[in-house]
Amino acid sequence: MLAYTIRRLALFVPMIAGIVVVTFGIMLLLPGDPAIVLLGEDSSPQALIDIRAALGLDRPWYIRLMFYFGDLAQGDMGRSIFQNQPVADAIGSRIGATLELALLALLIAIVLGITLGVAAALWRGTLIDTAAMLFAQLGVSMPVFWLGILLMLLFAVQLGWLPSIGRGDPLLEAIGAAATGRPGPLFNSLAHLAMPALTLGLNSAAVISRLVRSTMLETLNQDFIRTAHAKGLGVSRVILVHGLRNALLPIVSVIGLRFGALLGGAVLTENIFGWPGLGQLAVASISQRDIPLVQGIVLSFALMFALVNLIVDLFYTVIDPRIRLE
Amino acid sequence: MIKLTRENPSLLIGGSIVTLIVAFALLSPWFSPYDIETMDMPNRFALPSAGHWLGTDNFGRDLWTRMAQGARISVSIAVASVAIAAVVGTIVGLVTGYFGGWVDLLVMRIVDVFLGFPPIILALAIIAALGPGIQNLILSLAAVFWTEYARVVRSVTLAQREIDYVAAARAIGASHTRILLIEILPNIIGPVIVLATLGLGTAIIAESGLSFLGFGVEPPTPTWGWTLSFGTRYLRTEPWLSIVAGLAIMVTVLGFNLFGDGLRDYLDPRGVARKVKRDDS
Amino acid sequence: MRISSALFGAAVVLTAAIANPPSSLADVIRLGADVDAGTLDPRVQRDTTAYRVNNLLYDGLVQLNADLTPVANLAVEWENPEPTVWVFKLREGVKFHDGSDFTAEDVVYTFETILDPELKARFRSLYTPISKIEAVDPLTVRIELSEPYAPLFSYLDLGIVPKAYVEGGGDLSINPIGTGPMKLASWERGSKIVLEPFDDYWGGKAKADGFEFVVVADNTSRAQAFEAGDLDIIQSPLSPQDIQRLAERDDIGKSVMGGVGITYLNFNTAAEPLTDPAMRRALAMLVDQDTIANGIYEGVDQPASSILLPSSWAYADAIKQPGFDPDGAKTALADLGWTDSDNDGVLDKDGQPLTIEISTHSEDPNRIQAVEFIQATFKQNGVDATVSIADWPAFFPSVQSGQHQIALLGWLNIVDPDRLMFAQFGTGGTQNYGNYSNAEVDALLQTGRSSIALPDRIDAYRKAATILAEEVPYYVISYQGYQVFHGKDVDLQPDVRGMMRSAIGY
Repeated sequence: MLAYTIRRLALFVPMIAGIVVVTFGIMLLLPGDPAIVLLGEDSSPQALIDIRAALGLDRPWYIRLMFYFGDLAQGDMGRSIFQNQPVADAIGSRIGATLELALLALLIAIVLGITLGVAAALWRGTLIDTAAMLFAQLGVSMPVFWLGILLMLLFAVQLGWLPSIGRGDPLLEAIGAAATGRPGPLFNSLAHLAMPALTLGLNSAAVISRLVRSTMLETLNQDFIRTAHAKGLGVSRVILVHGLRNALLPIVSVIGLRFGALLGGAVLTENIFGWPGLGQLAVASISQRDIPLVQGIVLSFALMFALVNLIVDLFYTVIDPRIRLE
Repeated sequence: MIKLTRENPSLLIGGSIVTLIVAFALLSPWFSPYDIETMDMPNRFALPSAGHWLGTDNFGRDLWTRMAQGARISVSIAVASVAIAAVVGTIVGLVTGYFGGWVDLLVMRIVDVFLGFPPIILALAIIAALGPGIQNLILSLAAVFWTEYARVVRSVTLAQREIDYVAAARAIGASHTRILLIEILPNIIGPVIVLATLGLGTAIIAESGLSFLGFGVEPPTPTWGWTLSFGTRYLRTEPWLSIVAGLAIMVTVLGFNLFGDGLRDYLDPRGVARKVKRDDS
Repeated sequence: MRISSALFGAAVVLTAAIANPPSSLADVIRLGADVDAGTLDPRVQRDTTAYRVNNLLYDGLVQLNADLTPVANLAVEWENPEPTVWVFKLREGVKFHDGSDFTAEDVVYTFETILDPELKARFRSLYTPISKIEAVDPLTVRIELSEPYAPLFSYLDLGIVPKAYVEGGGDLSINPIGTGPMKLASWERGSKIVLEPFDDYWGGKAKADGFEFVVVADNTSRAQAFEAGDLDIIQSPLSPQDIQRLAERDDIGKSVMGGVGITYLNFNTAAEPLTDPAMRRALAMLVDQDTIANGIYEGVDQPASSILLPSSWAYADAIKQPGFDPDGAKTALADLGWTDSDNDGVLDKDGQPLTIEISTHSEDPNRIQAVEFIQATFKQNGVDATVSIADWPAFFPSVQSGQHQIALLGWLNIVDPDRLMFAQFGTGGTQNYGNYSNAEVDALLQTGRSSIALPDRIDAYRKAATILAEEVPYYVISYQGYQVFHGKDVDLQPDVRGMMRSAIGY
């Protein structure tokens, strides 16, 4: 397993190199450059030349790419042109917000998805099943930003229950505070998280609920469940212990894939809810042609995604020792 | 028919929705007396009436006409981008899965690179680089989608390669092209069609998301994404516009999803497409 | 100050009571900003948020009043011994946030560095007429100009930075030190800038326990956050739909007024067929500015009559650019030889159809709608118009290098007519994207810039505006409105530039 992990980690290197080159290529193809954005309407040809020189944009692209790789090898992602700080700091100050949002969305998706999936499987063919599967179909068919804006309209504006924008206290700190007997920050944090996380998570909840339903149905029809049933075990115990455990493997694998989708979905969600995460920063930095920052953000997303997939694959062996990793 | 309804309601409902949308897109010019671009500012945001079946948009243009034209454009964008992605992805998957070796290794690393990007960021950056327009939008979406097909087809091909009849075909000296096209492709086409049908919904949602962020097709092209994106700005005072556009998108995506699910029972009974499908929101 | 929305408010107030002493949260004012500040160094500021934050962090020699007249700030009085010399007496006993004393050296340093091309200040060109600046004594500064430059005072509100701190390696862009009534408490990038009162402010302590600039990019989301009680003040840019709704409410403070910006069409006078002023006039007659201002901008912006703003001392309503007149346009185009000879609905001349491209950038949905609307009107009247929309970095270079035909753009912060005309219409001017050139206009703009007497300036700008209304290098669609909405408990004197000093008691 260690050798496998090392081999998988080694594959990150070509992936990172490829992503840097592709990102750099796309950014080069983008019309306009950061100097134009920096100077805005007040630019003059000479000022543009000066700024390009100061930013090093006057050097040929292959030299710039080489320097970037050189710096990256030393762990330096460069300096953001518009955030006025090192790319690592800019990402560091935002990544927590994105992870917090994606993880809570994932939690909502898992809880909601499993509950609905199990209910639909147990009461197969009833109204509950139909309702759950209708929800699942609507969930995957709903444009994210349409859902987000409807939720905002309802819960923040009409009902006034939830704050409509921004992030509250960082969730981790808030949990820490709650552990020491101050629940306030946790309320604040969760109130801000609720709508963005639900918006982001609903789609995945729908996907997971369908998967859980079909896996549960397969499992419930299998012999050992009937046997367990015959042995006099209660229905709920049979379902939870045997049904769900057997459904766990496909669920875990889909969760890994969903996490990538959630990170991608965070781009839109963050823009709707003014969530100060990487997704919002990514769109802004593309619009500003902030090449080092775009590079850094894309790399962070790719690494997060790759790591989660690796963890999921490793997790397989834990829950099902029969699986051998190649 | 009754049997089909009972056995596979998804296929029937989904198929009906898709048929209705296509009919709406193709037939509505015969029903609508309105020009697609003629504005009528005093009459903007009109609610449905005998004159305007769906009311009017933010410029007072007939919404029914706009939505019908939008259906044509949005569905065309979806079909074209998915078709390109499916063809490219299938070819790549077939070749890499069948031949393996260094080609496989190299191409799979390229696939890794594409999968590393958050899909919407990749699409957005590509469309920003190419400039706005329907063709560029199609290309940028295809660039995001093709990896899905490459991965599915490759994994199925890998499995097929070892199966007896393929080995037999090789033994009697059939050419690689013949084996790929005659022996392997037919086993793959089913899952690919299912995947593509489900992908059409994803493509329609992706188009509206890109429009929302300001990276769509240029107006006055009446894509649903634009209509929804502008409608959203008037949501508080004139919710009708965004409700119509949002519902149109939702129902169409629902139709493709149901249809794809229904097809799966016939074309992909083993659920190959489902397992590898990576949903993009 | 309301802290949060009705129901959830209870929980948050409870939180506040546990987490912090109530007083420290009670009077924090939260303003919704559309972008995060890029830098908090006033010399290199670019965006409106930096401009507004720095206004609280720093003091300038003068401060512009709500009606844009300069009044004493760090300079207490000034004199003008010769047309090109200004001598400023500085305020005594002023301290920077780091405790150091403010002196004439800091003023000299601020202006010398902003004039240094190495600093790459975006607004450097506003100060280039300054040929020499020196400290006569610790409380006296002398500025020499290369030529009389009347607009200077409108730009002397530039924040003065501490020389010793910057030269000692302090980075103002992230750790700002000024003499203003507020100092930086924390800055969560992309999210919020938190200010706290500066206890040693020379003008007395601020009447707020804090001021937060909360970044919400989307206009509608920002309005909703205000309505939900999560923000205390919101201001332009806002969606017209939200403004209309908010303006009807009685339980909030509000101001809707003419601002200091315009939305206009830039005609490329070097691109055929727009080289002919008669053609530009004819096309201008096809722009239905009333419908754009009242329909798309829903009355938030006013239809414009000329390049002079109603808020300016130079304004004259007798000066009028062409109004919306499709029939007049048709006649004018026919006079120029453009008729629909082949009956295809598109005007043509010598077998060529009349084709015009209208472009704008994708960041502003109202501008996109305005372009879409203009295109439709053009088409209805036989002009085959196409639309081109790209994001700012792609769109702007094409305008700057004169590759556009008609571009929809805007100007902000027009605190002096010079700011909207000198660089824009002067032959070879740095912002003359449409390559307009008229010797008479050049001379008038020079007069307007160098005359000290206001009547002379007014006269020059009115004459120039009259020529521009006739030759139409710009067609000014609308005067942008400025709107601000705030909770009843915020005491705010609206300032068209969106400055917030009045909200904290100055």
